[in-house]
Amino acid sequence: MALLSESAKAVAAANGPAAPTAWQAWRYRLKVALREPTTLIGVLTALLFTYLIVVPIISIVLDAARVQFGHERRLSKDVGEFTLYYLDRVLFSPVSADLFWRPLLNTLSVAMGAILLSLVIGTVLAWLISRTDMFGRRWFATALIVPYMLPAWTFALAWTTLFKNRTVGGQPGWLEAVGLTPPDWLAYGRFPITIILALHYTPFVILLFGSALRRFDSQLEDSARILGARHHQVALQIILPLMRPALLSSMVLIFAKCLGEFGVPYVLGLPVKFEVLSTSLFRSIASRQTGVAGVIAGSIMLIGIITLLIDARLVREARRFVTIGSKGSMDRQSRLGRMRLPAAGFAATVFLMSVGLPLLTLFLSTIMKLPARFTLDNFTLDYWIGRDLDTVALKTGILLSPDLWAAAKNTLTIVGLASVTSGILGLLVGYVVIRTPVRLLSVYLRQVTFLPYLVPGIAFAAAYLSLFAVPRGPMPALYGTVVILVLALIADQMPYASRAGISAMTQLGKDPEEAAQIAGAGWLRRMTSIVIPIQKGSLVTGVLLPFISGIKGLSLFVILAVPSTDVLTTYSLRLVDYHYTQAANAVVLIIAAIAYLGTLITQKLTRTNLAEGLGS
Amino acid sequence: MPTINLRGAQKNYGVNSANAVSDLDLEIRDGEFMCLLGPSGCGKTTTLRMIAGLENLSGGEIRVGDRVVDCVSGGVFVPPEKREMGLVFQSYALWPHLTIERNTDFGLRLRKLPKAEREERVERVMQALDIAKYRDRYPSQLSGGQQQRVALARMLAINPGVLLLDEPLSNLDARLRLEMRAELKRLHKEFKTTIVFVTHDQWEAMTLATTIAVMNEGTLQQIGTPNDIYDRPANRFVAEFVGSPPINILDFGDPGTSDVTDKAEAYLAAHLPGLRSIGSVGIRPEAIGYAARTEDVPEGSFSGETTVTGVLPTGGNWILELRTDNHTLFLTTHVPPRVEQGARVLFFAPPEALHVFDADGRRIAEADDRLRSTATYN
Repeated sequence: MALLSESAKAVAAANGPAAPTAWQAWRYRLKVALREPTTLIGVLTALLFTYLIVVPIISIVLDAARVQFGHERRLSKDVGEFTLYYLDRVLFSPVSADLFWRPLLNTLSVAMGAILLSLVIGTVLAWLISRTDMFGRRWFATALIVPYMLPAWTFALAWTTLFKNRTVGGQPGWLEAVGLTPPDWLAYGRFPITIILALHYTPFVILLFGSALRRFDSQLEDSARILGARHHQVALQIILPLMRPALLSSMVLIFAKCLGEFGVPYVLGLPVKFEVLSTSLFRSIASRQTGVAGVIAGSIMLIGIITLLIDARLVREARRFVTIGSKGSMDRQSRLGRMRLPAAGFAATVFLMSVGLPLLTLFLSTIMKLPARFTLDNFTLDYWIGRDLDTVALKTGILLSPDLWAAAKNTLTIVGLASVTSGILGLLVGYVVIRTPVRLLSVYLRQVTFLPYLVPGIAFAAAYLSLFAVPRGPMPALYGTVVILVLALIADQMPYASRAGISAMTQLGKDPEEAAQIAGAGWLRRMTSIVIPIQKGSLVTGVLLPFISGIKGLSLFVILAVPSTDVLTTYSLRLVDYHYTQAANAVVLIIAAIAYLGTLITQKLTRTNLAEGLGS
Repeated sequence: MPTINLRGAQKNYGVNSANAVSDLDLEIRDGEFMCLLGPSGCGKTTTLRMIAGLENLSGGEIRVGDRVVDCVSGGVFVPPEKREMGLVFQSYALWPHLTIERNTDFGLRLRKLPKAEREERVERVMQALDIAKYRDRYPSQLSGGQQQRVALARMLAINPGVLLLDEPLSNLDARLRLEMRAELKRLHKEFKTTIVFVTHDQWEAMTLATTIAVMNEGTLQQIGTPNDIYDRPANRFVAEFVGSPPINILDFGDPGTSDVTDKAEAYLAAHLPGLRSIGSVGIRPEAIGYAARTEDVPEGSFSGETTVTGVLPTGGNWILELRTDNHTLFLTTHVPPRVEQGARVLFFAPPEALHVFDADGRRIAEADDRLRSTATYN
């Protein structure tokens, strides 16, 4: 026996190692995978995001099909049993028109209107900015993007300040104050909502269409012209077809954004009972119709997912149009000639309408006692810094109100904490996705962190409410705490954070880290002396971008915040509800200033044009 | 550094994909300058990365001396940072946020060497590679050639037992490349390191290596000295990959289709009686001569009639394109050719210049030996 095994060993040594068995190969792979914390971190983050993103979504979908508390008697079933009652109620019952169908139609019509209007304005502006010699085109290139940096409902508040009529109580609008009562259709509902969303999302078109125009190879134009095509023929037969993907893509993105938009329809739709899906969802949650809310939130998610799948398809299609690189993509400009001044005038008008006028109105409203009376004695700084004012509550100027500072502190802690966390998590996800030897993990992490992008914020917040409102397992009820806001915000920001992390890690490549490995650096060492120092810049962006979008975010907070966890946005909305117009406007101005300055600082710090990272 | 041994090394990226490297046995001895040579995608870089530990195996094992550093069935994997090797990347992979000096110093700091010794060693390699004057610059401020030197210095500083180089010269222009080749040869002598060098450039391999391992499609084709590889190619792939212009191959497919292959077949049948199953024969361009008259053709050589269809000067050398019925032969000469395009000439090659391969493309060693002994008789 001994002899046999000796000789067997000798044979094995002579022939080199035997082919590994499946078990040996698996054990070896596991060892390699677990050698470094990458995979462990990957597994942990995957679990975390499953809990923070997938579980809430599943929870709200389940809510839609289970008997909710308070309905046991009516449905003669126990809480938690399967039921189609809510689905039936939202989609087919007599109240379905109010709950779902009319809001759906309103959402669609408002979105379509906004898309059309912003396409018309946006394409013209994009062309003027990127391909003509319009006056001040560089300045306009930045200025016309500003509306997107401000919260959308800034404009809604400005609109009510101007057009509010006697339908609603509180301080009258300026027009009402000078004796011109605006009709309801002008003051509230579909018309103003459409206009405001269009102005807010026009920067989308300017950026997407503009960048497509700039990348457009002018040799394609020249070839057509050499073959005898006239200007308009070139535009219609060459440029427009090639621009179609960019146009469709911006349409789809605007639609997805409109779907989740809450603040604007809330401020402008409520007085005339003009409901869109997001406000209908909010009403169901506010009246504790959890099952119904589940169905509506599910529908919003479904529409969102379908929309973005269409977008993904369009992007794929757009690749077909990618022409082989050439030197032709030069910055050629059309001469506007006599139209130069009118063109600049048009751009200036759009700027005034979408930035100048709203902000000026808001600002003036905060320093005027009576609306629309431009006499010196009507101006006051009381609403900002006054004391002992003659009001029911809020007896001081807004800057002296402890509530504002509490809300500001909340905002900074909640949004700050969430964005720092999501920035770091984003880089980690990027690292794991690029580096882990476990492919499945990489794919899953990439997908799951992208998922919130498909779900409008308001539906996502509803999902959080559904999961965390009651204690589940070891998790206490989180509703009303700061924790739920931070968690929801982190999850909501993950698509941007992880995308930033993945692209940063892809750009870095493996080589610098492998070189450090060869030089003898272990994992921790490589992270601290190579990866993080090199990725410093993108980490800053990964924190600042979520911070800015969190500061002006409303839809998540409006569902999840309670008065004690008020942030600036919900605080101003509360002031709107109480008709403290000046104070509400002042808070919104503060938010807009923070968002705008934050964007500028990020741009300066990273020396990038944030406009390009748009979509966040 | 003890001998590095790869045994049955295998790598595939995913279950269904073809092996990037299959069943590779390779021995790299101390002090050797080994080139892994092959076309792109042949598995040479994967092999290098497996030795470094940046790529784990799918089968087989790697030993350094008696120590197993990587073995699938044994469940052993020593990570790259514990293998004490140096690797210069094709992209150089300098750390953009560190100065040249800090780049060079990085590995020494990790090893917690005393400051004085670190400074001394950094100084020595920076001097040796002539980059001391850039010590405070950042990598982005250096040219490609300078970055390349820093990448080398960074690895030499830790005095690795083996230095792995992944196509380090491919991003340099021709002049710098030549300089760096000489530099590498000098460093090999000065630092007495074992070097494993990956390249697809046969001249680089020929001029630098003490041993060349030719790879194709993940398998080792031949390992030997540069002369071995050139003079006794183990198979048609090696014969055709090494040499420029490439070796002329006469394929004995269907008899009767080509005059010149029929002639070659008859010639070999006469010189190698009893040898069957010859698949093809190869003749290097520089071994072929040409003559205007039959009496100028050396006796006993393989020859035939042909037309000159091209005379291509390459500066100091000439390539002649010869056309026989349906074969094109290339010959090279450093003597200015005395023929015009369109001239009818006789080509000839001595028997020892014929490389005989079997039907599977493997060298028939016996045939080569017998042909060479024929040559000595004549």
